[in-house]
Formats: sequence, C-alpha cells, structure tokens
Amino acid sequence: MAVKRQKAITWALGLAASVAILLWKPTVLIYGLQTAGLYAAIAIPMGLVLGIVHIVNLAHGEFMMLASYATYFACKALGMDPLFAIIPTALVTAAFGWIIFQITIRRALKAPELNQLILTFGLAIAFTQVINLMFTSQTYKMPLDYVSASMDIGDLTFGTWSFVFIAMAMLFSFGLQFFLTKTTTGKAALAVGQNPRGAAIVGIDVYKIYGLVFALALALVGAMGALFLTKSAIFPQVGSPFTMKSFCLVAMAGVGNIPGILSASILLGVAENFLRAFRGTRGWADIVFFVLIIVVIMSRSLKGRKS
Amino acid sequence: MLKIRGLECGYGRMKVIEGVDLEVGAESVGLFGPNGAGKTTLIGAIMGINKPWAGSIELDGKSINGMETHLMARMGVALVPQERELFPGMSVDDNLMLGAAYIPHAKDKSAEQLEKVFSLFPILKERRKQLAGTMSGGQQRMVAIARALMSNPKLLILDEPSLGLQPSIVAEVFEVLKALKKTVSILVTEQNVRESLKSIDRGYVLENGKIVIEDSAEGLKTNPYVLKSYLGL
Ligand SMILES: Nc1ncnc2c1ncn2[C@@H]1O[C@H](COP(=O)(O)OP(=O)(O)OP(=O)(O)O)[C@@H](O)[C@H]1O
Ligand SMILES: [Mg+2]
Repeated sequence: MAVKRQKAITWALGLAASVAILLWKPTVLIYGLQTAGLYAAIAIPMGLVLGIVHIVNLAHGEFMMLASYATYFACKALGMDPLFAIIPTALVTAAFGWIIFQITIRRALKAPELNQLILTFGLAIAFTQVINLMFTSQTYKMPLDYVSASMDIGDLTFGTWSFVFIAMAMLFSFGLQFFLTKTTTGKAALAVGQNPRGAAIVGIDVYKIYGLVFALALALVGAMGALFLTKSAIFPQVGSPFTMKSFCLVAMAGVGNIPGILSASILLGVAENFLRAFRGTRGWADIVFFVLIIVVIMSRSLKGRKS
Repeated sequence: MLKIRGLECGYGRMKVIEGVDLEVGAESVGLFGPNGAGKTTLIGAIMGINKPWAGSIELDGKSINGMETHLMARMGVALVPQERELFPGMSVDDNLMLGAAYIPHAKDKSAEQLEKVFSLFPILKERRKQLAGTMSGGQQRMVAIARALMSNPKLLILDEPSLGLQPSIVAEVFEVLKALKKTVSILVTEQNVRESLKSIDRGYVLENGKIVIEDSAEGLKTNPYVLKSYLGL
C-alpha cells in the first residue's frame, strides 16, 4: 500500500514537472526526450550484458566509438550514407565483440569483480589510444543535410532528426523483451543470467550463451555507432562519456530492468537539457549524471541499511 | 550404465572423496552417509560440476571423466540438485520447458513429457504461471524433480529429493521413483534412509569420502551398522 502510494506520488510529481517544463520551455522537454532516446539506446545493451553475463563493460562506449570510425571510413570509401551502414556495422561490431569476448573477457568471468573492471577499463584505453595513433585526435564528421530537418509548431522550432534515437530505443527495448520472453534462446539467456549452474544442469552451454549475448549487445552498440555518426562529430574519446552515462543509467534502473533504463534516461536527458537552457547553468549539464549516480548509490545503501 | 573406479575429488587442497568405486546399472541405487560425507561432491564429480582428481567415470562404456555439465545433461544424465538450482524469476512453465529444450532426445517430445510430469505433480499444473522463486521450498523441490524428468533421462541423479518435503509428499516422491526405475536408472542420496530403502534395489554407505558398506536393499535393512546409525534402531 505504502509502496503504491509512493509510486503514485512519484508519477504525479513527474507528470506535474513535465507539464510545467512543457509550458515554460517546450524545447527542454523535446530535446530532453531526444537525448533520452540516445542514452537509452546505448545503455540498454550494457544492461543486457550486466544482467546476463554479469560483467560491467567499461569499454562499452569505446566499442561504439570504434563502430563510428569504421562506419565513417567505410562510408567515405564507398560514398555511402551512414544509414545504409547500420546493419553491416551491427554485424561487424557483433563479430568483433564476440572475438574480444572469447580472447579476453571470457577468461575473466570467474575472476574477482575488480579484475573484470580493470580488464574492460584496459580495453577502453587500448581502443581509444589505437584510434588516436591511427587517426590522431582530429574530429571527423559526415556532412548530411537531412539531420538539420526541423519542424515548426506555432512559434516553436526544433530539430526532428534526433527523434530517430527514440525510435531506436523503443525498437531495442521491445525487441529484447520479445527475444528474452518469447524465444527459446532468449529464455535460455534469461535462465543463464538467473542461475548459470542450473542452466548448465539442463544442458545449456553457458559460455556459448555468454558469447552470444555479448555479440548481440555489441550488434546494438554497432548500430548505434553508425547512427551516432549521422548526428555527431567523432574523435577518439567520444565514447567515454557514454560508458559513464550508460553505467549511471543501468545502476539507476537496477540489473535486468529495461523499462527502468528508459525512465532513468528520460530523467537524465530532461535534466541535462533543462540546465542547458540557462546561460548560468549550461556548464553544469555534463555532471548531472554524476550527481544522479551519487544519489542512487546513497539511497541504495540507506535502503540496504534499513532492511 | 554408470561405472566409477578409484574416484578422488575435493576442493582446493582438501580431498573429500578418497577413492570411490560405484556402479549403477538398470536399477535404483541409494547413496547414504552423514552430513559432510561427500555425497554432493561425488555427484558433482559425475555431473562435471567439480573436476575429478583421479580415477575414472564411465557412462555406457564411454569415459566421461571431467566432461562439461551441459554435455552430461545432453547425454541423458539429469540432476535434481540439493540446492534445487531453479530459475527463480521465470515461471514454472518456463523452468520445465527449459528442462527439455536443450536435450536432443527430449526437445521434440516435451509436450507429452509435460503432461506426464503434471500428472505426477498436479500442483505444478495449477501453478504453471507462478514464478519459481515465489514457491515454497517443497514446491520448488517438485519443480526441480519435474524439470529433471522433462529431459527424459537415462540416468536420474537426485541429491536429497525429500529434503523439506512434507511426509505425505515424501512417500509420493518415492512412489514416483519406484515407478520410474522400470525405465530410468536412478542414483539417489537420502537422509531419509527408511523411506528410500522401500524404493531402491541396492545401496552404498559413504563415510569420510570412502564407501564403507555396499549391499542390496534387503541386506542394508538387516545390517547391524545401518540399523544402528541410519535407522535409529
Ligand atoms: N564448494 C565447496 N568448497 C569447499 N569445501 C566444500 C565445498 N562443498 C563442500 N565442501 C566440503 O566437502 C565436504 C563434503 O561435502 P558434501 O556437500 O559433499 O557433503 P554431503 O555428503 O553432500 O553432505 P550433506 O548430507 O550435508 O548434503 C564437507 O566437509 C564440506 O565442508
Ligand atoms: Mg549433500
């Protein structure tokens, strides 16, 4: 009962806040949701890996950065639009991720968590520095005219291209939900996430599932890498804030909670754009995630102490 | 069916199983012993959960020493673990479905097998949609047994199947095992020696990692040591 009421109050406050923002600064809400879509679509695969393989991949955003670079040079060479590269990039990134999983992460799965964090952090540094050596710290950007599409409602003008990220986040979350609850392989993956020992007993090849789930997550990351390139300039460190923000969102949502990632992304996206809307607070937008993660960790440990 | 010779096994530097010979044919075999004797460890070695240190394990004449757990399952060895090892966040239905889905000789017959399993444990049919983790301990034990049966095994290994079950269900479980042994080889560990002696053909007593007694069910019932230590007479 108390929990229900608390939930209702949270929802009511959230609704009131969004109505207030909508009336006062409509673009904050619109851009906030677009940003949320981007964050959620990138964080969902990290949540998938954490929920099933039980590993925090600190090279998550760096894998996306690699995918963006690969897309950039492939598109440059072939004169292709990055949109057509989404599926090929997803496949190539999945294969690359699977190989990296087999030669590194797989060996650390039974190691203490700290060793796993050091390993993926090391991968992140290695990826960034290799790109730095190959292509320098110069930024690259695809000149695409459709990304500047905009829409007018009354005297309000806003960019529309980034709505594609919301569509992507929706596609990922519904697709994964379907995979995990309706297909045999998906159910096996869930089972491995909940009890790897029990899964082996019923004949599931646990390490094969780990590899598969990692590759699937990397396919989504690869798709986002290609899509990210349409909108943003890329440089060697472009992935690292996404690693941090994805981690923040996954931590807020809790393990195995895709809808939780979506709502956490909305909170982060809207809060960032809210601060960006004022000259005085613009610089603070990039540390919102940091504040959020501290709040989450503090409230979790308080809750843990109570129970 | 199963033939173990000179098996040694343990954890870290501690040897728990110190040279065990054990056989299971087309029959039902009991494995008894006090807490900490090494029953679960021995089963773990058969199932590939812990790696044997020495000795040999054969299934149908084929060495399965150190084979991975999921391959053991696919070869027709089903385990009902002492700790149940269910998928707590998934429904009873999904737990049972996964019992058969990765077993080559069982996955096409899973619908029939499900009916059989439901007739053995009608309560599971009523609770099909309930999450396994929210069921009572005894009900979870039933799910674990049912999940193992879904794989249509040649060899069924049960580690303390009656643990935490009410007496009427215990009797029922041993009835089920008695009926099953016509088609499946069974290896079962039990604290409830009295009940299980009614369903098994042969038994071993394991103490401190060594087999100290090996006899038929009739022989065990009249063995003075067994009577004193395990049947409390
Ligand atoms: N994972 C483990 N790591 C270290 N030692 C273990 C482990 N599991 C069991 N042991 C030790 O191995 C010995 C045998 O344990 P085991 O669980 O095989 O006994 P058991 O006969 O199944 O007992 P019970 O009747 O209580 O289930 C015990 O001394 C136990 O402390
Ligand atoms: Mg035991």
